[in-house]
Amino acid sequence: MFTQQLLNALTLGSVYALFALGFTLVFGVLAVINLSHGAVFMVGSYAALTLVTRLHLPLGIALPAAMALSGCLGMAIDVLILKPLRARNAPHLIPMIATIGVAIMLSSAAQGIFGAEILRFPEGTIPAGEFTLGEVHVRALELSIVGISFGLMAVLFLAIRRTQLGRALRAIAESPRSASLLGINVEGLFHATSFVAAALGGVAGVLIGLNFNAITPLMGQPILHKGIAVIILGGMGDIRGALLAGLFLGFAEVMSKAYLSSQMGDAVAFGLLFLILLVRPSGLFGRVLERKA
Amino acid sequence: MSILRHTLLWTAALLAGAAGGAADIKIGLAEALTGGAAQYGVPIRNGFQLAADEINAKGGIQGSKILLVIEDEQGKKEEVINVFKKLIFQDKVLMIFGPTLSNSMFAAGPVANAAKVVAFGTSNTANGITDIGPYIFRNSVMESDVLPVTVATAVKHYKIKKVAVIYGNDDAFTKSGYDVFKKVLADQKIPVTATETYVKGDVDFKAQLTKIKATDPDAIVCSALAEEAANIMLQARSLGIKAPFIGGNGFNSPKLFEISKQAGDGTFVGSPWSNTNPDPANVHFVGAYKQKFGSEPNQFAAQAYDALHIAAAALKSIKLTGRLEADRQALRDALPKVSINGATGPFKFRPAAPKDGKPGGYDADQKPFIYILQQGKFNLYTGK
Amino acid sequence: MEWLANFWATYSTLVYSVGVFALMALSIWLTLACGLLSLANAAFMCIGAYVSALLSLHAGWPFGATLAAAGAAPALVALVIGMPTLRLSGVYLAMATLAFGEVVRIVVLNLEVTGGPEGLNGIPQSTTGWHILAILAVVVYGLLRLQRSRVGRAFEAIREDEVAASLMGINVARHKLFAFVLGAVIAGLAGGLNAHYTFFISPREYGFENAVDILTMVVLGGIGGLAGPMLGAAIITLLPELLRSLHEFRGIVNGLILVLVVLFLPKGIWDPRRLRALFGLGPGRDPGC
Repeated sequence: MFTQQLLNALTLGSVYALFALGFTLVFGVLAVINLSHGAVFMVGSYAALTLVTRLHLPLGIALPAAMALSGCLGMAIDVLILKPLRARNAPHLIPMIATIGVAIMLSSAAQGIFGAEILRFPEGTIPAGEFTLGEVHVRALELSIVGISFGLMAVLFLAIRRTQLGRALRAIAESPRSASLLGINVEGLFHATSFVAAALGGVAGVLIGLNFNAITPLMGQPILHKGIAVIILGGMGDIRGALLAGLFLGFAEVMSKAYLSSQMGDAVAFGLLFLILLVRPSGLFGRVLERKA
Repeated sequence: MSILRHTLLWTAALLAGAAGGAADIKIGLAEALTGGAAQYGVPIRNGFQLAADEINAKGGIQGSKILLVIEDEQGKKEEVINVFKKLIFQDKVLMIFGPTLSNSMFAAGPVANAAKVVAFGTSNTANGITDIGPYIFRNSVMESDVLPVTVATAVKHYKIKKVAVIYGNDDAFTKSGYDVFKKVLADQKIPVTATETYVKGDVDFKAQLTKIKATDPDAIVCSALAEEAANIMLQARSLGIKAPFIGGNGFNSPKLFEISKQAGDGTFVGSPWSNTNPDPANVHFVGAYKQKFGSEPNQFAAQAYDALHIAAAALKSIKLTGRLEADRQALRDALPKVSINGATGPFKFRPAAPKDGKPGGYDADQKPFIYILQQGKFNLYTGK
Repeated sequence: MEWLANFWATYSTLVYSVGVFALMALSIWLTLACGLLSLANAAFMCIGAYVSALLSLHAGWPFGATLAAAGAAPALVALVIGMPTLRLSGVYLAMATLAFGEVVRIVVLNLEVTGGPEGLNGIPQSTTGWHILAILAVVVYGLLRLQRSRVGRAFEAIREDEVAASLMGINVARHKLFAFVLGAVIAGLAGGLNAHYTFFISPREYGFENAVDILTMVVLGGIGGLAGPMLGAAIITLLPELLRSLHEFRGIVNGLILVLVVLFLPKGIWDPRRLRALFGLGPGRDPGC
């Protein structure tokens, strides 16, 4: 039973980490808590679903297409809403409120177009393989989710550590103003970051829609709450931290359901977050941020 | 300018006269059409629209057409009170159907009861709904009428010795279902090996199911909505759990086997409605619904459809005077006497027991059918 | 006159809600005035609502006493959690208070005495418009007085620069705790009032979305003065009702309005300087900040 729970925790944890990845990227670079990330996640899921059911595309094409679509959506949000707010140097709460407005619009629009009912991918979209290893049951889909999550995180991590682009991004994260004095195209990189973050959110939406077989206009809400917890635990804007914290939250939740009481699973997760913040004010894996939020 | 305005006013008045003539019978419908509860509210509205169209096509009630005044209550407490007040005091409807959630009825029911207007719930299964007062009706069957029969039937069929339980603990519908299950299992002296919970929006139940598997139950009792239940079944099977499921009212939707396919085979469900019930009234309903809306009806739609036919039967038995208060009271007094044969089978009301000396409303008095899931379909259980 | 009676019968609950959410908005405004971004106020409202409803239902306390308890109980909780949490800054404080709010909601969801997800029903309808009006008036008067007192000036100093404020000899921690606890009292009162006109309370009314809703009211209305939060509360409460005729599109329009206000009215809707400029009464430009 313990090995099975470990696997359960790993799947859940990588889902959280994958979602939090884009979320934390936007915060790290743009210094915005983007509460529309859950809605973008939902849009990614619906986009892939529409491509599969209406245009009868295979998942191999629908997934990257949905990724690109949600990326464009993220960039549009940045260009239309966040950019004017940056231009006038709005206090940090203001963009967050704007993204709440966006989230309301997107989920209402999704409900208008697709209805409130739970939709799901048609049969045969999902690779159905599963096997048993001793006591442990494994589905191919779960393995691919863990694989894709870790793959994307590795790519992102390397891109930010090793490439010129990554260095520019890190410079912006330190201080947008000095980055722009160094000749970095700050606005362009903000748009690019929004694109990448939303694209990652979209992929997470498709994968989770597939894994749990349920797509609804409000599917972004519960995971948004967990995402917030993850990026706080991980240290805001820290990609490696988001990965670790995602896995940590997944383990904390599964293990408290398994060995304490399933009633208190979420209370344990948030209580832990509360306590950790008291002990380490910048998150479990975060450095102490000197810059005032 | 002023001539133009006058013309406009007259046209508007004429249009209003044509669309909502004095003879129409205005009935309020307060359902959650947006937000999380819309997945129940929308089929409910469809059920009402279908029934209203049918009644009106057959000439209405004593020549008057039924006019549904539909409002979205979003499943939110304040919204539902506002909607009820708007329907009662502004639109001056004869009675109100809804709201969608039991919780909403607890907030809005007292408003209708105080205004002496019937509030008729079609999807409120929680205990205590009809304790609100004598103007509260429902045709949704309470779990406490269904589950004892379901559990007893399943226990006999599988010779069950011990069960595990899983339920949604942040939803009034699934939690009250669990409370009834708990009592039924205690009454029938069946030991519970593990009690697990999940919350709304959860899609991963493997932690709980892994725990259940370790206790090796003969069956899994599950109080969940169809979508969640289907995912629970699928995940249980993928963890290698073979025990059959026993489900509550929430299982009764085609969604269950659309998602779970054969994973739910062997499940016992008790319900007032099933889409495979061969009764002509039900066959007609299922066909008409599919034709009008292009999707399979569910239990919520069926109970909504029946509810309007119940109200229509009551309206046919009285003479409307045009005086709102008197008509509302006459309708209230006529409703308890109605009995019809609808999509959910034979139906009549049963007065709720008075609570603290205060008179209560009326609950549904219906016998549940027990179904067993076989090859991804509900089949009426006939006992071998 | 009959028209008025009819209007009141239909919309009294809506008017009550505007009053209650104005209180909520003021409670968050108070913490913001001291530079604290706290999302715990929905949880304080929850505690106030449950405490007062339980006292009305089971202990048979008179309404006034239950309201006093609705203010006192969250204040105690705020005192206990405030001491360790308030040293967090900015977004981290927001998240810690958010986590606290979730814990409160989940605990209420799982307790026997609170009725779990089914909530509490049959709460007597004791709140009248006068209660809400009186409490709102007292709170507004008190906050106006506070704003002009030593404490109010200390709040402002802390909001502008915490380090400088402490160098000037202001006890930052104590002032923050005071704002936090007073905010909890106001939120608890709002919760007690709300529970006694809606017959029913359940944990889902006090979740993350609600906390964010209330914050939105303040930002939308403007944090420059007391009028802003109250105006914001009125708009957010009334908007869905005004847009009712739009049916399915009302969520889209609702969200759009929020975005447009944030984009085009930087200081919120109630911005005295802009209003003065609009009516030609004074300098319209923000002098150099």
